[in-house]
Amino acid sequence: MTEATRRSIADLVLSLLVAGGAVILFIGAADLPPPRFEPLGSAALPRILGALLLLFAAILALRAGLRLHRGWVAPKAEVNGADPRKGFAVLLALILYVLALDVLRVPFVAATTVFVVVVGLSIGARNWRNLLVFAGLGLVLSLAISTILSRFLFITIG
Amino acid sequence: MVDAFFLLFEWQNLLFLFIGTALGIVVGAIPGLTASMLIALTLPLTFHMDPVSAVTLLIGEYVGGISGGLITAILLRMPGTPASIVTTFDGYPMAMQGKAERALALGIMASVVGGIISWGFLAGMSPALARFALQFGPWEYFTLVLMALVMLAVLSQGSLTKGLLAATLGMAFALPGIDSSIGQARLTFGSSTMLSGFGLLPVLIGAFAISQILRDAATPQSSTTMAIPKKRLPIYRSDVRYAGKLLRGSVIGTWIGLLPGIGANIAALMSYSTEKQLSPEPEKFGTGHEPGVIAAESANNASIGGALIPLITMGIPGSVTEAILIGALTIHNLQPGPLLFQNAPEIAYGIIAAYLVANVLMLMLMWGTVRYIAQIVRLPRSGLMAVILVFCVTGSYAVNSSFADVWVMVAFGVIGLGLEFCRVPLGPFVIGFVLSPIAEEQLRASLMMSDGDVTEILSRPYALLFLALAILTVAWPYVFARMRKGENAAKGESS
Repeated sequence: MTEATRRSIADLVLSLLVAGGAVILFIGAADLPPPRFEPLGSAALPRILGALLLLFAAILALRAGLRLHRGWVAPKAEVNGADPRKGFAVLLALILYVLALDVLRVPFVAATTVFVVVVGLSIGARNWRNLLVFAGLGLVLSLAISTILSRFLFITIG
Repeated sequence: MVDAFFLLFEWQNLLFLFIGTALGIVVGAIPGLTASMLIALTLPLTFHMDPVSAVTLLIGEYVGGISGGLITAILLRMPGTPASIVTTFDGYPMAMQGKAERALALGIMASVVGGIISWGFLAGMSPALARFALQFGPWEYFTLVLMALVMLAVLSQGSLTKGLLAATLGMAFALPGIDSSIGQARLTFGSSTMLSGFGLLPVLIGAFAISQILRDAATPQSSTTMAIPKKRLPIYRSDVRYAGKLLRGSVIGTWIGLLPGIGANIAALMSYSTEKQLSPEPEKFGTGHEPGVIAAESANNASIGGALIPLITMGIPGSVTEAILIGALTIHNLQPGPLLFQNAPEIAYGIIAAYLVANVLMLMLMWGTVRYIAQIVRLPRSGLMAVILVFCVTGSYAVNSSFADVWVMVAFGVIGLGLEFCRVPLGPFVIGFVLSPIAEEQLRASLMMSDGDVTEILSRPYALLFLALAILTVAWPYVFARMRKGENAAKGESS
């Protein structure tokens, strides 16, 4: 897939999502009562923004469609050797970490230590030395944060 | 103002300013980490702080964050912050020629002078501008917010449609929750969690910190070699010859900073190109020419002072960092705007005083520790990212002791990443989110006062001016393109 096709498809998907968001705004605004004490009312801004979003989505979709139709050539994308899998691994680790703290009620220190190790090894080099360094870092960090939160800010986490 | 300085020199405020500036310099020096991210991350810590201490910490982070970027810009050709991109043009060639210490010394000096000159504008103009802004009613405020949003959307990088889309999306995300005007739940779809809407902090941390880390995690770390400074940083007596360039860069930076949406990087670029055009030896720019470093660094730091003027006098943020600062003030029940000078003078003048002292602290810190900071930024970033993610989670949780906020943060991280992937700028998105409640409140108040009569705006000259500027900002790219087309056609005919 060329850079131009990739960008045009991304714009088409974005315009669909934005149009979907606009529909949600209209549905939400329809449930709101009409204005009684003031001219504008609570539903006006959602409707205005919904209409604007629909307009921008239409412009984006139209432009992307025209670009695909005319065979537009995009400027060459910067090659930086990015590996999207690492980004996804970090996102997955983050979601599991929050899930562990929120739903599974895993203690903060244990969850954080494991999380720091997983993220550190996902991004950096995977070796025993790094494993120990990240485990130590995670343990010290989680103990420091939980102490500050509980002793000074009276907040319990996990 | 004198009282503000006395208050600032209380040991705890000075300590927070010092910590903020030091943290800002380190974070600013690390490519990929920005002052906005640092301020968003430390915001939860300020909840329990005295408002003056909180503001001094954040101002220190802002000044340090913009200044710290010059270290890696000069030594690695990797600007720590976007504001230092232009510094790489001449700073890095100087470092490669064995003049790293000289480039750093000039950059630091220019940053401090830029900061101090823009402080002069900030301190001189703000109280008068705030008094002037007291004449503004809801129509003026609504159109001013609209103008700021439109300018920001139009002037941000990328297409005009995507800039405007970002601002509209940001405004739409601010809608759910209780409608403060009538106390009615809006767009909550029956969810009690949604009654409080999306919190400012989780949205900011998600959109900036999380999306940035997810993007950086996928990018390999640079292995460029760095010339670590070994000698002391030299400034010569003959450097007074640069006084005019410093003044020019600082004034350009301050005035560019005043305009919403343009930012420190454009200020540096405009100052650099002006200096190049005025120079008798323009061919030397880009090859390690000292005035190039001075022009860029004086302007990017001066833009902070400029941007703080509309923030404290009218409550209008010029960039994401200022939007976060507005959030910080709001958290402490302080409304930035003309009344800040009356209701909380210690904060209004405290910001001005802290900005000056932060510049002086930045000079001391950078002068003494630049070689050590240069080594810190070479540490593996995998551990650093893990640590920042933990801070993001705990920071979002600490706001309301609720994991709902943490999920909001994760969701906005993904939204931010998706928007950046589609080349939709995040700046207008976040500022739209921050300014939406103000815009709606002022519009509703205006219409209530005029019994729903929109033509009332015609009798308000300032509101009309702001509206005209907003329309002109949107129309200008098209008008300009048509004018260029016409000129080219005329040239083609004559030739």
